[in-house]
Amino acid sequence: MSLRDRIERRWVPRAVVTLSQVDWPARMSARVRRAAGRRERVELFFAFDDASSAVAVLDLATRLGGREAELVLTPVVRRGLRDDPAAAAKRRYAIADARRLARSRLGLELGRDTPLQADDTAFLAEWVAGARTNPNRFIAPALRRLWLLDDAPVDRAAFEQLWREAMGGAPDPNPEGVRAAEARMTRRNGPYDTPAAVIGRRWWFAQDRPQQIVERLDELGWG
Amino acid sequence: MTRVEFFFSFRSPYSYLAAPRAFALADRPGVEVAYRGVIPMAMRGQAVPAAKRLHTLRDAKREATRLGMPFGRIHDPIGDGATRCLRVAQHALDVGRERAFVLTASRAIWAEAVEVASDRGLRAVCERAGLAWDACQAALEDPATAARVDADTAALAALDHWGVPVFVVEGEVFWGQDRLDDVAHAVTVARSRQR
Repeated sequence: MSLRDRIERRWVPRAVVTLSQVDWPARMSARVRRAAGRRERVELFFAFDDASSAVAVLDLATRLGGREAELVLTPVVRRGLRDDPAAAAKRRYAIADARRLARSRLGLELGRDTPLQADDTAFLAEWVAGARTNPNRFIAPALRRLWLLDDAPVDRAAFEQLWREAMGGAPDPNPEGVRAAEARMTRRNGPYDTPAAVIGRRWWFAQDRPQQIVERLDELGWG
Repeated sequence: MTRVEFFFSFRSPYSYLAAPRAFALADRPGVEVAYRGVIPMAMRGQAVPAAKRLHTLRDAKREATRLGMPFGRIHDPIGDGATRCLRVAQHALDVGRERAFVLTASRAIWAEAVEVASDRGLRAVCERAGLAWDACQAALEDPATAARVDADTAALAALDHWGVPVFVVEGEVFWGQDRLDDVAHAVTVARSRQR
């Protein structure tokens, strides 16, 4: 085995795993945050066209309720691995998986059978990025409407009505804000797909690891 | 008999984490676990960028800790190591030792840094799994074992799937080690229907 092989196959993976165990900076940061009277920040990068995101947003909002943690919902449009040949298959499977998760975790039925495309819902992300007040009160009902109701094409007028009811006034789209969120999500080898929950420098696929996310808050003292 | 198809890759840490629980499903009466070894994604032309590789290692370590499984002394088997394990696994299947081989080999790769591309490393793994080394060597040279690996890999693609571990119970597909509880539930439902 060459030295290069040894480094790539053995030493680099081992170093990544070892360094991932270093936790004192996160614990220190949580202590400082608490001392300053601030809450922990759980940022959930999600996509309106992603069935897994719909489950994750609704599930985490429930699980984090009453905790010393702020759930920051950040929509993105561009997501996934670049030139992924399995992208379409992943969208199809996400619906089947989200259907089971919605049933077992939330007691809800998914109404949609056909994958949405990013362009179908990009306007929703742009509206949220342009929101002047907390957009969470629009996001959850919008995801319910998109994924739980039926298989109908996305009706922009109905969402505009929903926005007015939840947020007051008309939406003010901010596409640059969405691009900035996408850049922030992926910087420094961060999440490459949605739904991704980030606490400090650690992240999890939120539809797969909701319990681990809650346990992480416990570890950091945010019970 | 309820059949659980278990699509597995020796290069997938999540397959390693899933394997003990997946094979344990066969300890239930009337349940059969059918091992299907597939060629690693990165050897099938699918992109695995640095961000995904890093996240997978970190996340797999966290999950291994939760599951009480050793993880971290790694020797990445991509290339010959993965191919040789896949071929030996076909021989193990023929002699009814696939569970022992898959568990031993994946632990060797992900927790003991064994170089399974070498004869020395693979032989030790095979013998620990109760396989005769000369029979394993024959399997490595046999084009029929390679063809069976290709067939299992094609079967995964035919399911419209890409990564592993994947489980199939009565036509329903589950992806990921974190869906094993759902798989177990599907098995229970299938068994109750058959009674």
